[in-house]
Amino acid sequence: MAKTVIPFGPQHPVLPEPIQLKLVMEDEKVVEALPSIGYVHRGLEKMAELKDFNQSVYIVERVCGICSFMHSMAYVRGIENLMNIQIPERAEYLRVIWAEIGRLQSHFLWLGLLADAFGFESLFMETWKYREKILDLMEMTTGNRVIISANKVGGTTKDITEEQMKIILSTVDELEKEMKDVEKVFFDSYTVKQRLVGVGILTKQDAEEYAVVGPMARGSGIKYDLRATGYSAYKNLDFEPVVENAGDSYARCIVRVKEIYQAFDLIRQAIAKMPSGDIAVPVKGFPKGETISRLEQPRGEAIYYIKANGTKNLERLKIRTPTFANIPSLLKMLPGSKLQDVPVLVLTIDPCISCTER
Amino acid sequence: MLDNLITVDKDNIREAVNNKKLYGHRFVAATCEKEGEDYELTYHFDLNYEMSHIRILIKPEDVIKSVSSIYPSALLIENEYKDLYGFNFEGLLIDYKGHLMLSDKAPDTPMLAKKDNKEA
Repeated sequence: MAKTVIPFGPQHPVLPEPIQLKLVMEDEKVVEALPSIGYVHRGLEKMAELKDFNQSVYIVERVCGICSFMHSMAYVRGIENLMNIQIPERAEYLRVIWAEIGRLQSHFLWLGLLADAFGFESLFMETWKYREKILDLMEMTTGNRVIISANKVGGTTKDITEEQMKIILSTVDELEKEMKDVEKVFFDSYTVKQRLVGVGILTKQDAEEYAVVGPMARGSGIKYDLRATGYSAYKNLDFEPVVENAGDSYARCIVRVKEIYQAFDLIRQAIAKMPSGDIAVPVKGFPKGETISRLEQPRGEAIYYIKANGTKNLERLKIRTPTFANIPSLLKMLPGSKLQDVPVLVLTIDPCISCTER
Repeated sequence: MLDNLITVDKDNIREAVNNKKLYGHRFVAATCEKEGEDYELTYHFDLNYEMSHIRILIKPEDVIKSVSSIYPSALLIENEYKDLYGFNFEGLLIDYKGHLMLSDKAPDTPMLAKKDNKEA
């Protein structure tokens, strides 16, 4: 049968950001796929070498709008490690609360995009309606809805008041009730299952081979979530990674839905155990040495490699984002799939291209 | 200095990385930084939440054996370093020929640019 090459993207209705797939097709079946990026490379790692290490907090916050807070959290944790800075315990809890709020808005965003990809417009609008409430919490606690700029080397720039914590808890309770209705649709709807069950299977062996991370890995039966290592205040919270074994698009969806409930729980725990006290310590001097800081973003493990020489400028900042780790798995998942499933498969890795290209 | 770091000759990188795979390590990332006149290329691995690292010292004109046929997940980072540093990898699983990150009109090897224009 004759083969046809179809360029999928970089501009495509289901793609929030530019990535291109060169799809080699036999009729409606994908036989080969080559992902291409490079449309939004900004050279942020190089820029970080030219700025003061404190200014670089603002650079890394802009690596990605969706997991902005956790990028800065990974960065400042790395610098704090190099400078032997012990931040106040309250700041650790605040970071966990904002990290989990960030995870919620990211997962709600993804669920909406997924629904939109298979044409379920009302489900898309429903999930994004919930996301708005999360963005409201970010605005209430920090003044910003997306890039909240709450981290600094030595702690946090902002605190959360008792009154705000009550509002967070009531919003979480309200969202948990509303989420039950949406969960039924994602878990049981005929339409959703037809588009996700058995589509894009990545076995546990393949997931290990392609070194996928985050919900991609956990949807393929790999129990790997850096929060289990107990970084920041997670060491004081009950936490068990969500794992599904089917390895298909449906499993990846279930993992993210369950992680929404898990985030509700972690926020409640963090607020219940929140100690009083300072939110930052004074920082003097400059970082020196090399370190790796990593944490679990909504899309998976993020790596920050930092090398410093005792001056205000870093020698090197290298960022490995979760999408960068997950893109090669498309080489495995796409061949053999139908053209109609390509948008869903691309979305199930939760691609963040601005993250990937930095 | 990173914990669990070993430095190997650049010609032995594939054997060292293959050993990691045999023992079940996951490929995590690779980083590159300048060290004197040379460059340090470090491959990072994870096993049960513990990281380990293999480092090679290279010059920009060296031919480096790609590890992407051992770990397919290494293909993007090796192509990225081909773009940004101009490194020449031999045996890349997919070779983007210097255009993974950079367009035709982008400056060559931007990460090799001198740091004498520090702003801060």
